[in-house]
Amino acid sequence: MAVENAPMTDLVPRRSGGLSSLRGKLSFIDLMQSLGLMAVILLGSAVMSTLSPVFATIRNIENVLQSATIIAVVAIGQTFVILVSGIDLSVASVLVLSSVLAVGLVQFQGFSPEIAILAALVAGLGVGLINGLAVTKLRIPALIATLATMTIARGLAYIYSGGTNIAPVPRIFIELQASRVFGIPGVIVLTLVLAALAQIVLSRTRFGRSVYATGGNPLAARLAGIKTERVIIAAFMISGLMSAVAGLLITARFEAGAATAAQGLELAVIAAVVIGGVSLFGGEGNIGSMLLGVLLLGLVQNAVNLLNVPPNWDSVVSGLVIAAAAALDVYRRSYLEAGMRKKVIATKAGKQQKPS
Amino acid sequence: MSIADHIAPPADKSVPRAVLVARGVTKSFPGVLALDNVDFDVRAGEVTALLGENGAGKSTLIKMMAGFYAPDDGEITVDGAPLHADPSSAHHIGIATIHQDAHLVPAMSVAENIMLGRWPTHYGWVQMKRQRAKAAAALLRVAPHLNPSTPAGRLSSADQQLVEIARAISEDSKVLIMDEPTTSLSPPEIDRLFAVVDDLKSKGMSIVFVSHWLDEVFRIADRVTVLRDGRLVGSRPICELDHDKVIRMMVGREVRDTILSKRPIGDVVLRVSNLSRQNVLSDISFDVRAGEIVGMSGLVGAGRSEVASCIFGIDPYDSGSVEIAGEPIRPNDPKAAIEAGIGLVPEDRRRQALVGLMSVKSNVTLSLLDRISCLGFLSMAREQEIADREIRALSVKTPSSSTRVSTLSGGNQQKVVLARWLARKPKLLILDEPTKGIDVGAKSEISELILRLAESGMAILLISSELPEILTLTDRVLVMRSGRISASLTREEATSETIMSFATTG
Repeated sequence: MAVENAPMTDLVPRRSGGLSSLRGKLSFIDLMQSLGLMAVILLGSAVMSTLSPVFATIRNIENVLQSATIIAVVAIGQTFVILVSGIDLSVASVLVLSSVLAVGLVQFQGFSPEIAILAALVAGLGVGLINGLAVTKLRIPALIATLATMTIARGLAYIYSGGTNIAPVPRIFIELQASRVFGIPGVIVLTLVLAALAQIVLSRTRFGRSVYATGGNPLAARLAGIKTERVIIAAFMISGLMSAVAGLLITARFEAGAATAAQGLELAVIAAVVIGGVSLFGGEGNIGSMLLGVLLLGLVQNAVNLLNVPPNWDSVVSGLVIAAAAALDVYRRSYLEAGMRKKVIATKAGKQQKPS
Repeated sequence: MSIADHIAPPADKSVPRAVLVARGVTKSFPGVLALDNVDFDVRAGEVTALLGENGAGKSTLIKMMAGFYAPDDGEITVDGAPLHADPSSAHHIGIATIHQDAHLVPAMSVAENIMLGRWPTHYGWVQMKRQRAKAAAALLRVAPHLNPSTPAGRLSSADQQLVEIARAISEDSKVLIMDEPTTSLSPPEIDRLFAVVDDLKSKGMSIVFVSHWLDEVFRIADRVTVLRDGRLVGSRPICELDHDKVIRMMVGREVRDTILSKRPIGDVVLRVSNLSRQNVLSDISFDVRAGEIVGMSGLVGAGRSEVASCIFGIDPYDSGSVEIAGEPIRPNDPKAAIEAGIGLVPEDRRRQALVGLMSVKSNVTLSLLDRISCLGFLSMAREQEIADREIRALSVKTPSSSTRVSTLSGGNQQKVVLARWLARKPKLLILDEPTKGIDVGAKSEISELILRLAESGMAILLISSELPEILTLTDRVLVMRSGRISASLTREEATSETIMSFATTG
């Protein structure tokens, strides 16, 4: 990884050294992204703990993290889709469909909770498969294809539930919500495990590499022998599955099959993923940074609540944070690019001075 | 309304004054220094030919004069008025550019296209009558045969070009830049275009003309300016030059003849039989043997890259077959082609081969994921080992194997693509314009590499527009014209003249 081990170093002018020679390196770019977000989060938290006595309590932090888990799980799936330069608007609808199925199949049809949960997950995979097929085989733009399934899945959830929340939920959900692993709420642990798995898949497997290649340059990926259509379908199926898992989490949290929940959640998820440094153009981003984006949005929401910002102003504040994060991201990119450009000029100039 | 009204007659007939002046223009992109301190003058009433090999910086200079890019350093002025990096500023100070592909709005009429963005209005309402009159006046000068109300999309590409020239006239442009205007034209259309250019010139308009065809340059240009590797080589009146001098300015060296060592030619590796694709390819049949370098020549659009696309499974074909060592390959499946032992270095490496956001290492191993993984998990150590080995073998100049590939220079990017295939050791390597847009040094390295690979027994299909490359490297040349193979020439038969004659009239 280090520059010293590199086989050729003559592209880097000695003088500029340090920072500018690192700017072209991918690991460095990722690090900048995460560090920037981390700084914003720490700074914001420091300010908040002086403004509100409640903020820095374990209870509040736990609350922030717990409510962030649902967005985080959906965002893990969304990350796969955005990495292959797609977008999935159907996530919130899949979430409620999964939620009403998981409760409804027990309440209305009398299935065992295990089968109901399995059915909910399969439904998520199914919607993802349909999204993927529509995007690859029918060549419908992802925005439109998932807009259609978003409407359909939400409609099905309403029809099945009769438009109201279904309660009570099977015991397993209550136990999930109450569970603790080493004193940490079980849902948080579950989310972190899913995130770690996703990160391993993305960085260490053939499929993950194919995801980045397909999003970065689909034609080049295809010409290198990658079955890009299958990669895209799989990404949508992962998104569907993750949304279904989030549906189970929301069932546990609200103790109901929540037909009317998660309105507009898909936009919050996309915002969090983009704030977390996943490029909407595809091919760039990682789960770690993405989770920081989710956390930042969660903290903003929490701050707005704690500071008694008048109702309806909270969405204005959230919007401003999203805009600021996006602007910072653009600025960061152009800074890195400018660094690369200077390096090339310096190299060319250096070459000219050498006698040939 | 004529251009001549706006331009003072030159004080001295022999040296017309410079209209467009570029001084010290420098522009770099990530990985390339495209223009390096270039001075460039365009004189009133002259046709200046802007020449240079691929990647010399012509396109960058043209895009800059058209206002698409801001120079990193230096300035461009037209009659003293500075050009800002904005296409509307270029139009405003009198530079009109005709790009390689016509920039017309297909659904709008010829008249509307001529007046595009400058529609005569009255309180916001477009005045159709005035628009037609103004457009007709401009059209009369260059293309009296066109009807101003025809939708532009229905015109031939030659006529679309004339409409763009008419637009330049209606704008009272002082400088008209034409980027390879003849590539898609037939000989009579070229004659008509040149007549129009002569007429514009006599009215005092300055013209910048970019072409790869030296015959055209000698027919029409008054002055030749040559760029090489982003730097100005020189600018001279055409009367001081001949073909050889211009070529020498462009390449900066004599085209040397490499003496081919006799290689043993083995069994047939690639057999293409009666390959046809509607409106693209008809009845293509040829073999490539182990250790053989077969060149494929022809004009742009003759179907060479399309042959490569069908062999490699990028595009489907209607009939015929492709076999590697006697085994037919499943059509339209690049993965099957790769597994059968074919490698492809495509023409447009940024678009077709490299994932710019990924590291050099990941790009090298992109087609090797099956070889560096076990049960779907990648072996990072194995990946590093392969990448390091290939980077060293091809002496790719990169700060590190985890550097983003898009920051490398063109030649080094091409080496990364080559490294990918060399690591797989294909039976057949197809190279489509392998030295396009890379500097001279890397070019000769790649040529030598191709020879070495053939010596090791690899079959090579080399598609190239550069005749010297075809003539020095190949054992046999297939010439294509309009989707057919018009000739198969042995090394002895192949000369620039025979190849060009079969490429243009076969």
